[in-house]
Amino acid sequence: MEVHVRIPTPLKKLTGEQDVIRARGKTVGEVLQWLTETYPGLKERLRDEQGDVRRFINIYVNDEDIRFSQNLETPVKEGDQVSIIPAIAGGSPFKRRVTLTFPPKLIKEPVIYNIGHRFQLVTNIRSANVSENVGWVTLEIDGEETEYSKAIHYLDEIGVSVEPIERNIIE
Amino acid sequence: MSYTAGLRCRECKREYSINPIHVCEFCFGPLEVVYDYEKIRKSLTREKIEGRPKSMWRYRELLPIDGDPTVGKNVGFTPLIKSEGLARALGVKDLYLKNDAVNHPTLSFKDRVVSVALSKAGEFGFKIVACASTGNLANSVAALAAAGGFKSYIFVPYDLEQGKILGTLIYGTHLIGIRGSYDEVNRLCSEIAENYGWAFVNINIRPFYAEGSKTFGFEIAEQMGWKVPQHVIVPMAGGSLITKIWKGFKELESIGLLDGVPTKIYGAQASGSNPIVAAFKAGVDWIKPQKPQTIAKSLAIGNPADGYYALKTIRESGGWAEDVTDEEVIEGMKLLAQTEGIFTETAGGVTVGVTKKLIEQGIIPRDESILISVTGNGLKTQEAIQDRVGHPLIIEARLSDFEKIGAPKQTERETEIQITL
Repeated sequence: MEVHVRIPTPLKKLTGEQDVIRARGKTVGEVLQWLTETYPGLKERLRDEQGDVRRFINIYVNDEDIRFSQNLETPVKEGDQVSIIPAIAGGSPFKRRVTLTFPPKLIKEPVIYNIGHRFQLVTNIRSANVSENVGWVTLEIDGEETEYSKAIHYLDEIGVSVEPIERNIIE
Repeated sequence: MSYTAGLRCRECKREYSINPIHVCEFCFGPLEVVYDYEKIRKSLTREKIEGRPKSMWRYRELLPIDGDPTVGKNVGFTPLIKSEGLARALGVKDLYLKNDAVNHPTLSFKDRVVSVALSKAGEFGFKIVACASTGNLANSVAALAAAGGFKSYIFVPYDLEQGKILGTLIYGTHLIGIRGSYDEVNRLCSEIAENYGWAFVNINIRPFYAEGSKTFGFEIAEQMGWKVPQHVIVPMAGGSLITKIWKGFKELESIGLLDGVPTKIYGAQASGSNPIVAAFKAGVDWIKPQKPQTIAKSLAIGNPADGYYALKTIRESGGWAEDVTDEEVIEGMKLLAQTEGIFTETAGGVTVGVTKKLIEQGIIPRDESILISVTGNGLKTQEAIQDRVGHPLIIEARLSDFEKIGAPKQTERETEIQITL
């Protein structure tokens, strides 16, 4: 199983300045194991002396905090995104940024309007580039987790590629 | 003279020198001030404290500034009240109220943390101070920045109570209302703090700022005759105050000014914003963030920065955590006002409401000493009770009008007053 792991800025020097790493594993625990074997410096930064994930490190699988899932036993599937994010005092998980890439056949469709119309979400375009053949939009999405998941599912279904942007706030 | 030895990560214990920083760069845990307790123990006595001016600075050895305080010299030493009326209403014997609703200068416990934060910001050489706030902190930073000669930038959720907006603007600050919850304001401020060289009192100055809350606990101990109550109920927003009251008691014990701390600490939240209570009751030590929905806006923090440590304090002390509905908050405010003559804000309604609930549930025993922390003033949150306190009777200036509708019943006018000539 290959997943994408997002590395926060303060830890990038331990991964050769890579901010996204392709890692392997069937669970978050296995992915972390693979990661810390491949980049040994990461181990003591992510896990404490007992081997637990450090309290002020949050790990998300596709935007879901693993502590509210099955923790290190949380299963991952091909192409999932695992994000490692330092929990700086009082961050909010509710606003997300994603990059949407549109295939040519969808460029004329009112996709962003539909997100706001069909789901309880507020969207805000932060940057965009649309030409005849391809288009991408960076979008800020505000709303509840369940509505957000439904919207992502909808986008997937109609063929828009969705890539969450890291929520690291200590750039 | 300084009694601080540096900063230390609360998680991995790595040490740092005193600087405007708040996060451990190794494990991302929060940093805390380290003191030289041996030196403090040798120098600080009950008599020495009692001989000093009545402000929070009488405990200055246990506060993280190097020189004399430059901001908020008159903050603190608020009344500790032995309750009669509320004690009767709640059916308890030994009840106390620590009343920061009359703290100087902005009528909430936040003046304590801000006077430390700004005195420290001055020592670091900052000229501009800032904060993310649910209102009380905004008032306090604006006021004390004005008094201390700082420029200030204050970030709040845009839909705060009018009293808290006005009570910030009057001091000539830069007030920025954010369309979003407090948690979103806080997140934005973390980004701003990274990019501007300001003293954000509850971000980069947080380790120093938070220490100011200990004085709430120090004063309780001193005002009770160097004893602490068996049960202390504290409102929780970010969860810092509750941990610092406990820390304050423990510090006094460790330097020999208290003989033992038999206190259980109880955390109070509103049901519409109860992430810490929910975690306590679920028996876990991580906080699931919420989207707050409550009239107790000063407690409306869905992702509390010190939530984990608040839980730890409650559990270590053997206390409990509970929440109350908005309806019970209003009832709590009215109860305190009508039994003690203290008009507290919604957060105080939460604390009174939770105390009542815990006594009724038998969790707090009726015959032991109990202290309720009143942390803010009701004049700031008038909207919450506007339609719940009745209206004045309006009459013409005629005795007959008064007797028709305004006069008390016959039995109530029979008080005989003896006039001695």
